[in-house]
Amino acid sequence: MITFEAVTKRYPDGTIAVDALDLEIPAGKTVVLVGPSGCGKTTSLRMINRLVEPTEGRVLLDGQDVRAANPARLRRGIGYVIQQTGLFPHRTVQDNIATVPLLNGWSRAKARGRARELLDLVGLDAALARRYPYQLSGGQQQRVGVARALAADPPVLLMDEPFSAVDPLVRASLQDQLITLQTELHKTIVLVTHDIEEAIKVGDLVALYKPEGRLAQFGTPERLLGAPADDYVAGFVGFDRGIRRLSFFPAAGLDLSAGPLLGADAIVAKAQATGEPWILVVNGGKPRGWVPQARLAALPGDMPLEQVPADGFGHTFLAGSGSLRAALDAAVISPAGQAIGVDEDGRVVGVATFDELRAAIQAADQAADCAADQAADRAADQAATQKADQKADQAPDKAAGEPAEKPGAWP
Amino acid sequence: MNWSFIPSHISDIWQYTRDTAQLGVLSALFGLVISLPLGIAAARWRWFYPPALTVVNVLYAIPAIALFIVLIPSLGLTDTNVTVALTLYSLCVIFPNVVAGLHAVPDSVRQSATAMGYGALRRLVQVELPLAVPVIIAGLRVAMVSSISLSSIGQLIGVYSLGYYFIDGYQRAFPTEIYIGLVLIIALAVICDLVLVGVRRVLTPWMARS
Repeated sequence: MITFEAVTKRYPDGTIAVDALDLEIPAGKTVVLVGPSGCGKTTSLRMINRLVEPTEGRVLLDGQDVRAANPARLRRGIGYVIQQTGLFPHRTVQDNIATVPLLNGWSRAKARGRARELLDLVGLDAALARRYPYQLSGGQQQRVGVARALAADPPVLLMDEPFSAVDPLVRASLQDQLITLQTELHKTIVLVTHDIEEAIKVGDLVALYKPEGRLAQFGTPERLLGAPADDYVAGFVGFDRGIRRLSFFPAAGLDLSAGPLLGADAIVAKAQATGEPWILVVNGGKPRGWVPQARLAALPGDMPLEQVPADGFGHTFLAGSGSLRAALDAAVISPAGQAIGVDEDGRVVGVATFDELRAAIQAADQAADCAADQAADRAADQAATQKADQKADQAPDKAAGEPAEKPGAWP
Repeated sequence: MNWSFIPSHISDIWQYTRDTAQLGVLSALFGLVISLPLGIAAARWRWFYPPALTVVNVLYAIPAIALFIVLIPSLGLTDTNVTVALTLYSLCVIFPNVVAGLHAVPDSVRQSATAMGYGALRRLVQVELPLAVPVIIAGLRVAMVSSISLSSIGQLIGVYSLGYYFIDGYQRAFPTEIYIGLVLIIALAVICDLVLVGVRRVLTPWMARS
């Protein structure tokens, strides 16, 4: 766990980078610090491994003030990944990855063995081990950077805009990989980004900064999208936050209908008999395309549907593990206005109309509000109990000097 | 050009060539040895760089013959005198290159080395100096070639080198000696330069070949 206690960083010229920051980063979670440039997010990150020292306040790592530790030893226990990769150009990939194990006094052979394990972990070919950084693509370099940070298996990983310098496709795959890695490794990850989409995608918790190093909101991505603390947060998370929030709602609750589904060998007359405005032609379980009822009118009744030209179906969503956002997107892009749900093998399970989607979204929304209210109630209860306890402890002292607080001040 | 001069004086020619090589190469290497700590200090304490650079530039402005004469009272008419003078000249090229090489290490590399737990000394030796090698060797090449060439002036205070053939050839109006001296000095400079290029290649397998 990493704790910021009233941490302020003020530079000699009076600039305030971080202003009285209180933040608790739970162990084993990915916490994203996000905000506009110059908001103090990177400064906050660097105070954890003492690349920057706070002017006031303390940063605690598992309860210990980081300033109590020898900086070099502290840093060997904290992985660090930066945007420009910071790979050592004069070392091969394997020796770059082996850096911290070697600093910790491992033998070269053992450290290189570890480096090869990590290449595999981050999805790089072992053949790259002897290459130099200049021989790698940007995405590969960034993966090596992550491997190097993980080499000594540190419990904490700091990442400063790790994916900002690569193209969007590579960025998405690196983000996906980080999420997968984290489900296996359970590191305490602190990631800095200016990209709110990235924050929402990879973060278990998101700390949104305002300019001049103040915290605007700290919570789950779902809360930031669903219940922004103020206009600043609402503006930062963007105008389509309502839709993006649907990413956190599972599509499993959708009531899928099989009404418009027909096999490719079914005949036109059967399709007309369904009364559905659009027919989804299914071939061997896989969607083939949508056929509008109007197109069937002029065709002979005994013609198999596989001979009827079909419109494309855009894309499908995973009925079991997908999100309502994916389902809504599939409906919007479909010519029939219906989202096709498929199983893991791509076989059609059923379709959802806009009406069904709306009902599912409302239900999920209510469930989320309910859960959030309960969580807030629990937190408030806890706080009240704690304060009441403290008050009870302090009561004898207070009674002596200070006037007692008014009755009824506590809920 | 009197070709028969070469076989009859081959041992003298070889001796002067070796003298020249020794003066030039040793001066450049001593220059490197002095420039490294100076350059490291100047890269670390930035206030130190401007005055130090002024001093080595002023040294370079002193005419060679004047510098030899200034050094005579302490070092006499010796190889050492010429070597010291040429070493001082080579500082003017190598020292700024050491500083430039260290400054050219990308901030991201320095920062990530620190963040991974390198102490300052270890970072210097294992990361910064290896990365500064190309720029330092570029300076060393210029210093070596110019030291080899300048060493011939030492002949004016009686320190033997291929410079002997310029003075003797001029005094005797015998151009063969001048040609021999010129060709061998250039050949020597080219060979030393190629050796340094080779050294750089061996030390920097990590650089993109262009």
